[in-house]
Amino acid sequence: MGPVELLHMSVFSQSFSPCGRFLAAGNNYGEIGLFSLSAALSPDATAANQKPVLTFTAHDGPIFSLISTDVHLLSAGNGEISGWSWNDLIKKTVRPLWTKRPSCRSSLEVPEINSMTLNPRDNNLVVGGGDNNVHILDMEHGVFKAVLQGHTDYIHCVTIRDREGDILSAGEDGAVRVWDSRTSESVHCIEVYKHESCARPQFGKWLSCVTTDSDWMLCGGGPSLSLWHLRSLSPASVFPLIGCQRQATFHQDMIIAAGDGAFVSHCLLGGEVKAQIPCTPQSINTLQLNTNSSEHRVLTVGGSSRHMDVFTNLSYRAFSLHF
Amino acid sequence: MFGWSTAVFLFFLLCIDEVIRKRLLIDGDGAGDDRKINVLLKSFTKWCNSPSTSEEEDVQHQRMLSMLAQCEFSMGKTLMVYNMNLREMENYEKIYTNIEQNITSAHEKITECKKEIQRAKRIRKNRQEYDALAKVIQQHPDRHETLKQLEALDKELQQLSHIKENVDAKLELRKKQFHVLLSTIQELQQTLENDEKLDNEDTNQESPMDNSE
Repeated sequence: MGPVELLHMSVFSQSFSPCGRFLAAGNNYGEIGLFSLSAALSPDATAANQKPVLTFTAHDGPIFSLISTDVHLLSAGNGEISGWSWNDLIKKTVRPLWTKRPSCRSSLEVPEINSMTLNPRDNNLVVGGGDNNVHILDMEHGVFKAVLQGHTDYIHCVTIRDREGDILSAGEDGAVRVWDSRTSESVHCIEVYKHESCARPQFGKWLSCVTTDSDWMLCGGGPSLSLWHLRSLSPASVFPLIGCQRQATFHQDMIIAAGDGAFVSHCLLGGEVKAQIPCTPQSINTLQLNTNSSEHRVLTVGGSSRHMDVFTNLSYRAFSLHF
Repeated sequence: MFGWSTAVFLFFLLCIDEVIRKRLLIDGDGAGDDRKINVLLKSFTKWCNSPSTSEEEDVQHQRMLSMLAQCEFSMGKTLMVYNMNLREMENYEKIYTNIEQNITSAHEKITECKKEIQRAKRIRKNRQEYDALAKVIQQHPDRHETLKQLEALDKELQQLSHIKENVDAKLELRKKQFHVLLSTIQELQQTLENDEKLDNEDTNQESPMDNSE
């Protein structure tokens, strides 16, 4: 990889292995880099431990979404989803187990896949992408079970409500739709940009991140990052963060959000911003907490840079991994 | 002197190695206690073998006794030091186990505190969620007021419908009265027309009779 390519690299997605010792990161060149966290976090780590142990080209377009199941790594490229076995990857064997393509209207324009999430209840993979629809793939049989139609513009992000099993999807049309997974119907449609407290017309109406805690939902993008109460569908607090947030997550008693701006914001549920921790990438695309391992509990952040910051303590950046 | 010492430790070399090493460490050059014992032994043999006068013998005797006392004294001292060291060791052992216990209890306390922190974070999160919901709820008006407003509106509605009923009834009554009036007028008109027609027929019948005469 020449220096120009390295300069223009962006990390779009990341996922931790089920054992918690490895991190897979996908970039805009279609490559997946596998980093060994246990080597990088050990007391005698060297600079070589911050480079990937394995890099391979998985797709021919940018990889916008990576997700791990108990044994597999799923990567989404241009209109196709590939499954890789974690055991094989750890042993450095690069061999996709399967590749599936969700049905699209025309074969000329293959829509990209922006977001995937796993529904553990019925073992479904929920996929949202550029064709304005949410596709549901049954992981056991490997067939696309259902298509949820309703959005009028492409989908940025999908997530699952753990308790009720509903699917939430947010898209470029500014609406968050709540789908019932059994009837495949849109139960609610929340148009965030229509609420005065959240709307920021100078940025637009698109929503790039949605995440939920069963009772509460965080969504942000063009409109400010806001916390919604799902039962009453009303905004409870709006966070005064400048810039558009691209990833947000609930962690213990606070909210971690990242997006435009070279920092990770820590906010309280009441609406105040507690801290902003600086990091290397100038704008952040992906934020992940390692919940699979108790000894490598880190937060990793990747964005418009070839460096991925690793936070061992949430308050400061420990070191960076890079391609 | 030198030959005697070498004979002594050559002898011990044959027997016990450790003892040799320790002795050499403590008192290798022959000064100190070892020398005292050697001097004592020598003076004892000299004293036994000497045919000197009783005064000198007494003096020698006293000197030997004092040397013996000194040796005993130094031995007593070293014994005490040894006992003290043993007790110090015991003391250190006790402190060591105490510190180990403290370490394990501190570890336990740390895990307890970590659990406490998790619980406190959950509580804090619940409180914050409560606050956020309370803020939203506060924005809506009070239920009592809304109920009162609803009641007032209900009353107004009832009154208005009452008035409407009254007006409707009056309208019906007037309609009926006008109907009665109009139908009577029409009947009278009919009767008058009939009478006029009859009158006209009567006069027509009379005039042809006059003409025919």
